[in-house]
Amino acid sequence: MMIPNRKEYLKALANSGQKIMGVLPALYPRELLWAFDIHAAEIWDPPGEILHANAHLQTTICPIVKRSLEFILKEPDIINAGYLFPHTCDSLQNLGTQVKDLIGVSLPVYTFYNPKGSFNNTTTRYYRDILQNFQLSMEAVYGPLAPDKFLAACVLSHKIDSHLMAIQQARMTDHLSLNNAEYFKLMRAQEYLLPTDYLSLLEQVDILDQPGESPRARMMVSGILPPTPEILEFLDELGVSIVADDLLAGSRRIPKFPMDAPVSPLDYLTDRFFILPPCSTRGGDLDERLHHLSKHMNASQAQGILFDIVKFCEPELFDHRLLVKTLRGKNYPVLTLETELENHISGQDKTRIEAFTELLFEMVSP
Amino acid sequence: MSIRAEIKYKIMKDYGAPALMALQDFKRRKPRPIPEAFGPPLDSNKRLKEILSRHYFLSRYARGVNKVAWVTSGAPVELLRAFDFYTIYPENHSALVGAKKQGADYCSIAEGSGFSQDLCSYARIDLGHMLSGKTPAGKLPKPDLLFCSNNICQTVLYWYKAIAHELNIPLIHFDAPFVTTEQTEADINYMAQQLQDMIPILERVSGRVFYLDVFENILKRSMETSRTWGAILDAMKAQPAPMTIFDAFGHLAPIVSLRGLPVAQDYYHILMEEVDTRVTQGIGAISDERYRLIWDNIAIWYKVRFLATFFAERKMNFVTATYTNAWAETTGYLNVKDPWNSMAKTYGQIILNNNLKHRLELMKKMIKTYSVDGMVMHSTRSCKPYSVGQFDLRKAITTDLDLPAVILDADIADERVWSEQQIHTRLEAFCETLEGSKHG
Repeated sequence: MMIPNRKEYLKALANSGQKIMGVLPALYPRELLWAFDIHAAEIWDPPGEILHANAHLQTTICPIVKRSLEFILKEPDIINAGYLFPHTCDSLQNLGTQVKDLIGVSLPVYTFYNPKGSFNNTTTRYYRDILQNFQLSMEAVYGPLAPDKFLAACVLSHKIDSHLMAIQQARMTDHLSLNNAEYFKLMRAQEYLLPTDYLSLLEQVDILDQPGESPRARMMVSGILPPTPEILEFLDELGVSIVADDLLAGSRRIPKFPMDAPVSPLDYLTDRFFILPPCSTRGGDLDERLHHLSKHMNASQAQGILFDIVKFCEPELFDHRLLVKTLRGKNYPVLTLETELENHISGQDKTRIEAFTELLFEMVSP
Repeated sequence: MSIRAEIKYKIMKDYGAPALMALQDFKRRKPRPIPEAFGPPLDSNKRLKEILSRHYFLSRYARGVNKVAWVTSGAPVELLRAFDFYTIYPENHSALVGAKKQGADYCSIAEGSGFSQDLCSYARIDLGHMLSGKTPAGKLPKPDLLFCSNNICQTVLYWYKAIAHELNIPLIHFDAPFVTTEQTEADINYMAQQLQDMIPILERVSGRVFYLDVFENILKRSMETSRTWGAILDAMKAQPAPMTIFDAFGHLAPIVSLRGLPVAQDYYHILMEEVDTRVTQGIGAISDERYRLIWDNIAIWYKVRFLATFFAERKMNFVTATYTNAWAETTGYLNVKDPWNSMAKTYGQIILNNNLKHRLELMKKMIKTYSVDGMVMHSTRSCKPYSVGQFDLRKAITTDLDLPAVILDADIADERVWSEQQIHTRLEAFCETLEGSKHG
């Protein structure tokens, strides 16, 4: 299974005349963009040194925000249709208006509000209104939306979700012959591949008829992004498999259960938003999140959980204490790492991971 | 409602609170000497202390008489007032702890229990209080209800969720969509509907019935109080200004935490009268006001006295602040005849829920109308919505208005973040630039 390189792939797309919008984390109606023939290239953790963003942001701002701004300030050629800032947290909220109203970029800047807190009929109606307003803002630039293209985009999205759900299920039950690094590379490819290309990739994934060899230990991971490739490779070396995730860039963007095939795009997208798993950035209920985590720990038979927390990420840090306390109360070993999204693994983190995995091994064969 | 609790509350209100005030008066027989750089202190300070002490004192006896709600500073509290909730403002309480230089102690309690040091210090102090029961206010009642709005930050939602879970009590959240360009009809309808959806929940929790006319009267009072607060801030356009913004940081407390109650309305009439008199008589808050400054962001509560003195000694007075203005800026939208939509407009468009273009224009307007010579921005690690964007706001203001400006890296209530040497160096350099720019 060959996964194209992100930078080269997007460059080739841009050169071919494809409209590409840079989209910041995390939740947005990608189907609407697709229906306007706009490709969504997600910006989570662009690599490289942070130089120019430091002149615009304080030292205590999270690295996702800083790296995103560094990327935007370079005005990369691969982004040609503008930037979209979904409303995810205070820092990304302000970054959107900072880029649009103070820094100024040559491309248009769009925003998309995601409702917060507990949801009811009022929220559902409002979310539908937000979708319609976003559609109008796109129509103002790209012309009327073709209803058949919108429906086709939702059908495509539905197929991708179905495949991802099946792959996640296979991962939990050892029916997938991908190591950690390969698995998360596949998951993250949705951030930049065209949906049709991504669907083709998912269709190539080999789901085994019988469970494969069991890993030495099983682990769940929670946070915003998957651990860095270096950590994933290190876990592979140790024989530990990440069998389930509670990641904003991962399963928190996939519906909790299968949906019927779309008939009305707006209804479909509205329903889809409200059946996403509980998430700190949406102000979700803590009990619901705990229940969700426990359910996945059980279903995947994970022996422990790794919280990989992005430095200064308030939504995650507030929930973290209770999650850790409760999971420890259920005798699950918990390891928390703090990441600034750098492409290396510190000696200290390596030692802590080793010690943690030893604990998991002991649980498997005491 | 318990009769015993009600009798106890009445006794404390009629006898306990006055006795406490008398005791405080006795303790204040020898007031601290006022440095020469300052003008005469406001007489209203005494009344302010009485009101706040009384509010915290009586809160101990409120349970059993009224239901207690913990509320965020930007939440539409008028609705709760219609159900007679006794309201406590954790942000206000955390500021009090910060002002007493006890912030680090409370934060450490929260950190020791697993909350990260990178979280907002108001939240950490409040969580420290919740976990330990410690408070400089004597004792605070446990809430029956939590009421928050993310119109000031998303943080309050995460923070109140943690309390709701810990105490197993209901949380009502008022979701205020961020204004990226302007409020849409959908935004207003959404907020207005949320407020109406809250009524049955509030009736259930409070055990009281909602009456529209009672609510409208509260709204009217709140509107009038905010207008008076706005007029008090407007009076600082006078030269010399009758107050410093450090005074206003203190006098802000009733508009934040007692908004909608007669006590706040009455208090601001007293303060307004005093401020007007000082303007008429040319009495300034500092003895020789040569330079006029604007403050951006929440106060550095544990250094208010230090900063007030530092600037007053250099004949510099803070005459306006984006922070104090927040409780007056959008009051004009309130309309008793259209309560729900007007509350959506009022509470949805406050400075921290509005885009940075709006903030820049507002700051420029304030700088012009208050004849400001320089700007001090507090970049606080606790408040992302207030701080993210400040570097570019500063650049825009210094470039467009040729105004000297400085950014202080600190925190609102966790004094461990304060770096005396670094701040002092920055402030001295700023003062030199300011003096040079005005006379150079």
